[in-house]
Amino acid sequence: MTATLTPRPAQTSPEKKAPQKKVRLPLKYRLNRFDVKASPYLYVAPFFILFGLVGLFPLGYTFVVSLNKWNLLTGPAGFVGLDNYVTELNDPFFWNSLFNTLSIFLLSAVPQLIGAVLIAAVLDQNIRAKTFWRMSVLIPYVVTPVAVTLIFSSAFDEKYGLINNLLTSFHLDPVMWKTETLPSHVAIASMVNWRWTGYNALILLAAMQAVPRDIYESAALDGAGAVRRFFSMTLPSIRPTMIFVIITATVGGLQIFTEPKLFNPTTATPGGPQRQYQTTVLYLWDLAFNRQNFGKASAVAWLLFLIIVLFGVLNFLISRRIASTEARVSKRRMARRLTEYNRNKIS
Amino acid sequence: MKLSRRTKGFAAVASAAAFALLATGCSGGSSSASSSGSSTDPITLTVTTFGTMGYDDLYKQYEAAHPNITIKATNIDTGDNAKTDWQTKEAAGAGLPDVQAVEEGWLSAVMQVSDQFNDLSQYGANDIKDRWVDWKLKQATDSKGRLIGYGSDIGPEGLCYNRTDFAAAGLPTDRDQVAALFGGDTATWDKYFAVGQQYKAATGKAFYDQSGFLWNAMVNQQKEGYYKTDGTLNVDGNADLKTLWTKLSAATASGLSANQTAWDWGKGKAFTDGTFSTFVCPGWMLGVVKGQVTAAGGDATTGWDFANVFPGGAANWGGSFLTVPTQSKHPQQAADLAAFLTNAQSEAAAFGVAGAFPSVTAAQSDPAVTGTNALSTFFNNAPVGTILAARAKGVVAQYKGPDDSVIQSQVFGPAIQQIDSGKADGSTAWNNAITLLNQLVVNK
Repeated sequence: MTATLTPRPAQTSPEKKAPQKKVRLPLKYRLNRFDVKASPYLYVAPFFILFGLVGLFPLGYTFVVSLNKWNLLTGPAGFVGLDNYVTELNDPFFWNSLFNTLSIFLLSAVPQLIGAVLIAAVLDQNIRAKTFWRMSVLIPYVVTPVAVTLIFSSAFDEKYGLINNLLTSFHLDPVMWKTETLPSHVAIASMVNWRWTGYNALILLAAMQAVPRDIYESAALDGAGAVRRFFSMTLPSIRPTMIFVIITATVGGLQIFTEPKLFNPTTATPGGPQRQYQTTVLYLWDLAFNRQNFGKASAVAWLLFLIIVLFGVLNFLISRRIASTEARVSKRRMARRLTEYNRNKIS
Repeated sequence: MKLSRRTKGFAAVASAAAFALLATGCSGGSSSASSSGSSTDPITLTVTTFGTMGYDDLYKQYEAAHPNITIKATNIDTGDNAKTDWQTKEAAGAGLPDVQAVEEGWLSAVMQVSDQFNDLSQYGANDIKDRWVDWKLKQATDSKGRLIGYGSDIGPEGLCYNRTDFAAAGLPTDRDQVAALFGGDTATWDKYFAVGQQYKAATGKAFYDQSGFLWNAMVNQQKEGYYKTDGTLNVDGNADLKTLWTKLSAATASGLSANQTAWDWGKGKAFTDGTFSTFVCPGWMLGVVKGQVTAAGGDATTGWDFANVFPGGAANWGGSFLTVPTQSKHPQQAADLAAFLTNAQSEAAAFGVAGAFPSVTAAQSDPAVTGTNALSTFFNNAPVGTILAARAKGVVAQYKGPDDSVIQSQVFGPAIQQIDSGKADGSTAWNNAITLLNQLVVNK
């Protein structure tokens, strides 16, 4: 007992001295340590440097511009604080553009996703010439949006267009595709749908192919019909991919520009004679390059950025909720099964 | 072994090529920067034009006469895209060419930053000043009296009409008689609309394609347009403009407008199916009409002709200038090239190639302009060059304020569409335009 209590200086002293004794490592080892510690940062640096240059810096610079009265040509003309934001939030044209963007987004995203899921489900079946059909749905995506818009714009022409010609030959009233709000939104949404449905269908198809085939078989053996299997098995299994598709569709949909810009390129006001389909990006382009108001255009760019972030967060929350309900459901199911199993074992 | 050695060889060649690319990429900017005032050093002049200006052969001529100069020309498809290109480079402060073509439609934007362009009087403009019609020179002079551009083409307006449609309505078809029908030298808008009513009564068809081009001409004919000469706005409470607007909207409401989409016209079909029978024609528009008719399958027999008359007096629409931005490293050589491209022979040659009507007085009477060409054949052998020269007399250079094009397109554009489509009457549309004016221009 006493022996253990007595201090043993002889043993502790070398341990204390050890850090003081400086051992100079050879260059090779120091380089080696530097390599281990710094190299990973150097490897990821190119991305961050590029992102800083073309992503972060413009974002910050746009914010600085948005706080100034700034003419595109003559340059800055005084700091105005958040005035540009205040005037834009009170500008009916800004809200008009936001309404148009959301309306076109809803008209395009909803039918597009339903169509994509259905096409993917059909392609997932055991059909002949699979690759041919899969490549065929991707063809619209390969065509540049400008070409798509030119063709659709010609078809939707009010006086000489293909669609109105067909309508009048069936003794129906021609639709004012380019000068009325809802028809123009439908027309632009149809271009977006034509281009993106096939692309989304292929992504969803990849997700569907990852669902194990044997569970379909056992479900079929249990008497589940094709429709029942689609709704109860296919759809829940592709939920994560579905969320990805919805998020990319949202981000793309809120930034729509080419289609409304070129839908009727000859109008004096971009986005329709009375701004019927002037989307937010088109509005900010008009502000910067036709009205030369760089400050306000930057403010709109930032507002749009915040709106997209907001949608992103909403998407994230919803998707997390879906994911967690899934987990909750499976946990509950597991717990129930365990208790049943234990009960059976006891009895 | 053999294979791998060969692959190594390829890799060496490939990496050398990549390095060469990098090296040339880096040195690209500096080659044009090395400059000196001497006139014999080899230099490269960059030129940016748009549309069809007909300069390609002239560049070759100039290069042959000046062996030390190489011309690098860029042509942008439309004037609007050229404006975006210029604006972007101007805002960035780099990338502008030695000679930049500027369209009259965006000259007001250029004038906001006129100090970014060289005063050409320092580079020999005073010796050649009298070659242009005086109002073209005035348009290119900024508020401080600096001349920033040499005039290339102008757009004096005459009246295109369709002989076949006029004959069907019992109107004269000979172009001199048509000019007399509209009032000859004293043609007014009242007379034009009266003939329109007569035509409408006889055929039941519209008289003009849409109201925008007429409104544009009406405003351009005024001594002062959307702006007063002192730079203040001149729209709200402008009785002259309001009177013209009332006349135009009344005529449109009575069915004289075909409510066509300008610049589209059903890909030209509206020009060939008798939808309308008169059309506002600046010189460069003749080529547009020909293109539209041809695109829709028509030709000279479709019946379009060109009369030496214009309602409301002389009017000009469009035309271009050649400027030398201060970013240019060789302002003297660039100004010399611009002077060459706008001399009488060059402008007459450009008219033959592209139909750009010369702003140089001597070129207007050049046989290449007054003689027959593809355009005159298309317009029933009308002497288009001679008619345009006559139409160019009496044009005034109107002061254009910084937001002139915004007022034209975004304030009156929607109002024009409202009266054309019958969605609003004249006074409602005018009030809407004033509301837009306050929102977009006054309280910007």
